[in-house]
Amino acid sequence: MSIAWAIFRKEMRVYFVSPLAYVFLGVFLFLAGLFFYLGITMTGEASLRVMLGNLSVTLLFLLPLLTMKHFAEERRAGTFELMMTAPVPLWALLLGKWAASVALCAILLAFTGLFPLVLAFYGDPDWGVIATSYLGLMLLCFAFVAAGLFSSSLTHEPVAAGLGGVLILLPFWIAGNAADMVEAEWARDAMRDLSFLTHIEPFTRGVVDSAHVAWFALFTFAFLFLTWRSIESRRWR
Amino acid sequence: MISAQDISKRFGSLTAVDHVSFEVGKGELIGFIGPNGAGKTTTMRMLTGYLPTTEGKAVVAGHDVFEDPMSVRRKVGYLPETPPLYPELTIGDYLHFIAEIREVPAKGRSRRVGEVMERVGLSGWEGRILGSLSKGYRQRVGLAQAVIHDPEVLILDEPTSGLDPAQVVGIREYVRDLAADRTVILSTHILAQVELLCPRVVMIAKGRIVADGPLDEVREQAGYGLRYRVELAADGLDEGAVAARVGGLSAVEQVRALSTTDGFSLLEVHAPADPRTAVAGLATAEGWRIRAMERHVPSLEEAFLAIVGREA
Repeated sequence: MSIAWAIFRKEMRVYFVSPLAYVFLGVFLFLAGLFFYLGITMTGEASLRVMLGNLSVTLLFLLPLLTMKHFAEERRAGTFELMMTAPVPLWALLLGKWAASVALCAILLAFTGLFPLVLAFYGDPDWGVIATSYLGLMLLCFAFVAAGLFSSSLTHEPVAAGLGGVLILLPFWIAGNAADMVEAEWARDAMRDLSFLTHIEPFTRGVVDSAHVAWFALFTFAFLFLTWRSIESRRWR
Repeated sequence: MISAQDISKRFGSLTAVDHVSFEVGKGELIGFIGPNGAGKTTTMRMLTGYLPTTEGKAVVAGHDVFEDPMSVRRKVGYLPETPPLYPELTIGDYLHFIAEIREVPAKGRSRRVGEVMERVGLSGWEGRILGSLSKGYRQRVGLAQAVIHDPEVLILDEPTSGLDPAQVVGIREYVRDLAADRTVILSTHILAQVELLCPRVVMIAKGRIVADGPLDEVREQAGYGLRYRVELAADGLDEGAVAARVGGLSAVEQVRALSTTDGFSLLEVHAPADPRTAVAGLATAEGWRIRAMERHVPSLEEAFLAIVGREA
């Protein structure tokens, strides 16, 4: 566990000594502000519903950029060989990297905490709904970071890993929208079930359903497992 | 301490390492040499456990590399060909991180990092960003990370590449010190360094071990044993005739005439014991002139080229 903690701290340091984290923060907060403004002016509601919904799709495109370097860059720089010849268990490496990206997400989301404060100043927001919305977004980050890590483990080209991450996530977004065009009811349900929008929507209404929490947990573990398998199998080639 | 038992590595249809076996005893320092693409790096990667063997098994520091990789990783220090650095970090942060994952106890970790930095010539460089370092400094940081946990076994892939001559001497002395109480495999292209450092060499070509033994034996094996070169001038005799006369001496085993310059014939003489006094005696008796007589110790490079050339 102390090794995973060391990896986590190293990854956080790498994020914050390079411009990446700051640029990322800037882009994310700009978009969040835009969605916040549009959400308020369009609906007239003192809620974050529109902003948070849009942010989930924004994260789909941005998070892979945050995770793309994890394994791809280590492979390219030769530091992956260092990790694999030091007494670092693969799970500790995975956990440390995953946790670092998730922590950065938490920092991003914490910055958007300004918006509910603005709402509280001018209106009377439902704090319960806001809390569950943030919980939903965090779960989404868990899942997207895991998928991004998997993409990063497939190549030693960081850019390919970033775009690959977007490609992996896209079907989980589009499936929900495309479901309406499908005739067969079972297929429509299955496609809706595949989409993260279906699973995050209840959180934005203040509902925390264990089934949806489980969906995100399953998604996260599935991709972490795939990452682990992908790294293991590449050693044998 | 290190035992490669018939290990092979195949990448698809390419055989990078082909049934390689060798042993390195506790406290031994060996030079691991061979041309580019011979399989040196692949072999070392198998010994560190980074690459699994296709066949055969490797035992390092008493642990099977495949069965018990974590124990091996704890006891081995490894410097890959390109120093594995995180360009964003400072030297100090990087070495502290390595010390932490290498399980150097928190108490005394800073002292250890300072010690190693001083030893490789990095004192006062804690705050430098790795990405901005020159090749020589990267190499030193790479060496520092390999020894930070005071490993029993050190595997160094080209530790002095990119260093200037003064730095090469410094690092060579450091490796010599390190080798005093641990097992070291040193891979390098710079054969002169191997001659200065390593009592024993293992030579690999095309994935196979082609020579393994003390330096002198490897030179012998190449057919380039100790020999003597003499330059003699005898009026009225050509180099062939001079060679024949020298070859007639009982102390001499074999003579080869190499060339003639300024009337002096250059002869290469093979003999079990130093034949120079006998040759001088002959020359004096015959009234020949002597320009040079030297004992010629062949370099490892000559042996290397001979052996590798023969395999190719």
